[in-house]
Amino acid sequence: MALQEPLEAVPARSGEEGAGNPQFRVYEIFVQRDHLSPHVWVGSVDAGSAEEALVLARESFLRRDPAVSIWAVEQSAIHRTDYADRDFFARETDKRYRTVAGYREENAARWRRYRRDLLDLERDFVRD
Amino acid sequence: MTVPEFDDRHAEFLARVSRGEKVEATDWMPDEYRMAMVRFLQMHALSELMGALPEKEWVPRAPTLARKLSLMAKVQDEVGHAQLILRVAEDLAAPLGKGREELVAELFTGQAKFHNVFHMPAPTWADAGIIGWLVDGAAVVSQAALLTSSYAPYARILQRVCAEEGFHIQHGESVCLALAEGTPAQRQMLQEALERWWEALLLFFGPPEPGSASSAILFKYRFRTKTNEELRQKFLTKYVPRIRALGLTIPDPALRYDEAAGRWIYTPPDWSKLKAIARNEGPLSQYRLGLRRLSYEQGRWVREALLAPAKQAV
Repeated sequence: MALQEPLEAVPARSGEEGAGNPQFRVYEIFVQRDHLSPHVWVGSVDAGSAEEALVLARESFLRRDPAVSIWAVEQSAIHRTDYADRDFFARETDKRYRTVAGYREENAARWRRYRRDLLDLERDFVRD
Repeated sequence: MTVPEFDDRHAEFLARVSRGEKVEATDWMPDEYRMAMVRFLQMHALSELMGALPEKEWVPRAPTLARKLSLMAKVQDEVGHAQLILRVAEDLAAPLGKGREELVAELFTGQAKFHNVFHMPAPTWADAGIIGWLVDGAAVVSQAALLTSSYAPYARILQRVCAEEGFHIQHGESVCLALAEGTPAQRQMLQEALERWWEALLLFFGPPEPGSASSAILFKYRFRTKTNEELRQKFLTKYVPRIRALGLTIPDPALRYDEAAGRWIYTPPDWSKLKAIARNEGPLSQYRLGLRRLSYEQGRWVREALLAPAKQAV
């Protein structure tokens, strides 16, 4: 599999450019709505530090929605697959044998047969 | 593995987006696509920032505490949208050697534009209502058409933007309904605001003929799929019946729906006004740019503080 190069790290600069000036970094933001939900990626922010990223994330993404936790992950720390690497996500084989859908319909058809037999039995009793 | 020729990559990219596939920030893309996208996103972000200004003007003057709270929430949303869109624009602009600071500062040099509708005055409380209801309504018509845009990072952000704009429209409707059901003076104020804004609402979507070379690129790569006129027609279909239902008179005696043609006929606005606005010579262009410059300078210490190395004892 091919890992994708990180996004070019030029972005946001401070007001006064020049050597020695600190720069904003990009933090990817993940929000957890409640304890039974996973952290879900919502977007990214520019911040000078991880602490600021968390505050900016709250202001950017949680003006209305409730949440119990935010993760801020520096973009450069994320390892990602390459969108062009289709082979990595190839699905040549039929995956239905792994799923509910692979069995449900046939099982239902079989159960219907049992039910029909049951009805036939009842009819026989009535006739008798 | 061999590196494909430039033309092959370009042709493949065009074929991909033509099939409806999406582009990500890390994908290879033609420079003309990247540059047209940066331009579009930059203008969208700056328009969100500039759009907050006429609304901000109304926070201290809004009639009730509840209205002030809603307006403040709107202003925060608009500024928040600008932040989200700038973040997407930055990733696109980085390979061009352009950072966030340049994207924002080009507003002041006139290299970057902001939306024509935010060059207009909003003298009464009814104007604030019309902006919320109809200007934001027009904005959602054009933004919703971009939810399936070929540039996926922007389309993802737009889902949040459109959801929040939904609240803005409801709030604008609430203001307009209150005025429409109010005293004769309030109804009159609403009618006058509609008259002031009608032409701006038609100008909002831009001229009907094919636009600039830059906008042709947006269509070519399926960033956009709906034309200015298609969006304007959609807006008229949605809002003309609602405006009339409130008993308001749209200041265009020629306005009617042509059943046979399946489209709205309207008196064309003065398109030349868009040219003046593009030169920042609209009614309030310079005033609003002045406000933006002021708020940019007043916020400088915040940007600097965010970047200052932490000095506090741990």
